[in-house]
Amino acid sequence: MRPGDLLRMSLGNYGRARLRSALTTAGVAIGTALVVLLIALATGAEDNVRRSIFSIGDLRLVTVQPFQPGANGLSAVPRTITDDTVAKLKGVAHVDGVYRQFDAPLGMVVEGGDDATIRPQGIEPGAPIDRGDLLAGRHIETGDRAVAVIPGNIARLVAPNVGAAVGRTVTMRVGGAVKLGSTRIGGSGTPRDYAVKIVGVFDEQSSQTSFRIPLDDALLAGAENRGLTPDAMRTTTGYSGLAVEADDSTNVADIVKAVQELGFSSFSLKQVVEQIDQGFGVFKGILAGIGGVALLVAAIGIANTMVMSVLERTREIGIMKAVGASPRDIRALFLVEAAYVGVFGGILGLALGLAGGQLIDRIIRQLNPQTNPAAIFVVGPDLALGALALALGVALLAGFLPARRAMRMSALSALRYE
Amino acid sequence: MNVPLAVEAIALERTYASGHTTVAALAGVTVAIRRGEFVAVMGPSGSGKSTLLNVVAGLERPTGGTVRVDGEDLAKLDEEALARHRSKRVGMVFQSFNLLPRLKVVDNVALPLAFSRVPQAERLRRARAMLERLGMTARAEHRSNELSGGELQRAAVARALIGDPAILLADEPTGNLDSANGAALIALFEELHRQGQTVLLVTHDAQIAAHAERTIRMRDGRVVDA
Repeated sequence: MRPGDLLRMSLGNYGRARLRSALTTAGVAIGTALVVLLIALATGAEDNVRRSIFSIGDLRLVTVQPFQPGANGLSAVPRTITDDTVAKLKGVAHVDGVYRQFDAPLGMVVEGGDDATIRPQGIEPGAPIDRGDLLAGRHIETGDRAVAVIPGNIARLVAPNVGAAVGRTVTMRVGGAVKLGSTRIGGSGTPRDYAVKIVGVFDEQSSQTSFRIPLDDALLAGAENRGLTPDAMRTTTGYSGLAVEADDSTNVADIVKAVQELGFSSFSLKQVVEQIDQGFGVFKGILAGIGGVALLVAAIGIANTMVMSVLERTREIGIMKAVGASPRDIRALFLVEAAYVGVFGGILGLALGLAGGQLIDRIIRQLNPQTNPAAIFVVGPDLALGALALALGVALLAGFLPARRAMRMSALSALRYE
Repeated sequence: MNVPLAVEAIALERTYASGHTTVAALAGVTVAIRRGEFVAVMGPSGSGKSTLLNVVAGLERPTGGTVRVDGEDLAKLDEEALARHRSKRVGMVFQSFNLLPRLKVVDNVALPLAFSRVPQAERLRRARAMLERLGMTARAEHRSNELSGGELQRAAVARALIGDPAILLADEPTGNLDSANGAALIALFEELHRQGQTVLLVTHDAQIAAHAERTIRMRDGRVVDA
């Protein structure tokens, strides 16, 4: 048969037992809708979690920590990050940049009073931590000395507003007693004051204590606090950490491996995201399975309908075979009829799932206007196409045995069938 | 002598298992039908005449012997090829008409062409022409359940002829018709025969068989008088 004739004849057969076809199609639609809804819910949840993670930081970043790999809590064995480590990491493939960081002892901004506790972080220009979060001023630049980029909350302690803070020179006291929350701690070493000029103010959402200063200033402050030279700090104490930037987030795993081979512990959001993805994969699988049961029930419905259809049309099958329909023609007729159930049910189910998801979204939003504005149900093109393909596949599978039965029917006995 | 016979059956056998015994519907039938012949197969019920027709039609496979239709050995055809044989080489008319009631007459007539991949417009054109030839144009757009017995059988003949078959097969075609309609149908067969159509007609009615050029008589699965 020609494909056009096949589609036309099967559609005629599908439309003949209207109620039965409609009910079977509804079964597929409900199953598909359930699969769509459940997976959309999981996808929405995953999107929300991922969005939160992306807001924390860059997926291309690997942080090198001054511990041995596998360190956890108390068992952490210190390792020294030196310039030698930096050089080695710069030679690793897919590494775009290595940024050193040195944290000086806790301190305070004298002009800000007791609440202006700071953690002076020595960074290099362009460090990932010092990007794109400015409220006023600029980031740390090459050649800077005795400057700072400070969080908004500290800026407001030393000036009427963040804009006014830029350009002011404040006293950075490193070491000695500081107030942390409501308690005072002794701090390390003898306090020593440094005059620094505020060149930028960043949004304190990322940190309320981080006081970004040039790396050399931090090394000097750390060294003076302990009565050493900055060079001694570099070699004996080592850096507090390194930010290693990959050329692409897909290469992060390679870099993590290289870091561990150098003997350092590492942390990357990318790996956290991967673990979350894995978790959501399982979650989605379970939800899809639940929806799949509904589709399975629908498949049994299709099979039942098709068996009835074959039985009802036994004589017709006999006639068609007698006038020249080949076994393949007969099988195709019934398979395509089942496919119509799958396609129509799939489209209807997808529409139902989309509408249902939006409805539930809207209801939740009305009940709780404070809720996260992100969508709870997310249906991407892959889910939509996948649901259609699934409905079609299930229908074809369910139609296979009845179609084979029709195909194998003897023309003569079918003609005699009353 | 190069022209193949329309039907050539040699020592044809067809047995059915019935419980512990086997029943031979055909017990060594040898017949030959030339092209253009109008042959009647006559015999009482159970004589094997319908089985012979079904074997020639490719609806049933023999358990022994050889059958060639228009030169083609049916034993060599697989199921798909046998379906093509039914759609192209033979045309079948049944006692019970066997039209599809939900289709219009013209679509019923055109149906076999759908299975030989003829495009729809061409199918309908040929079906209308065939209905006109058989004087059925007025009924072309009716559904088959709106037709009388005589009209139904005429439509069935149109369907059997639509593929331009080498041989027209008819199994008790007048069995469900009154005598006037039966006579008209036989007249149609005679007319088709005059136009050169090979016709093989199965009947138990001697009066019907008398219209054929030649009668093959069967009894108990054997030809008793060719």
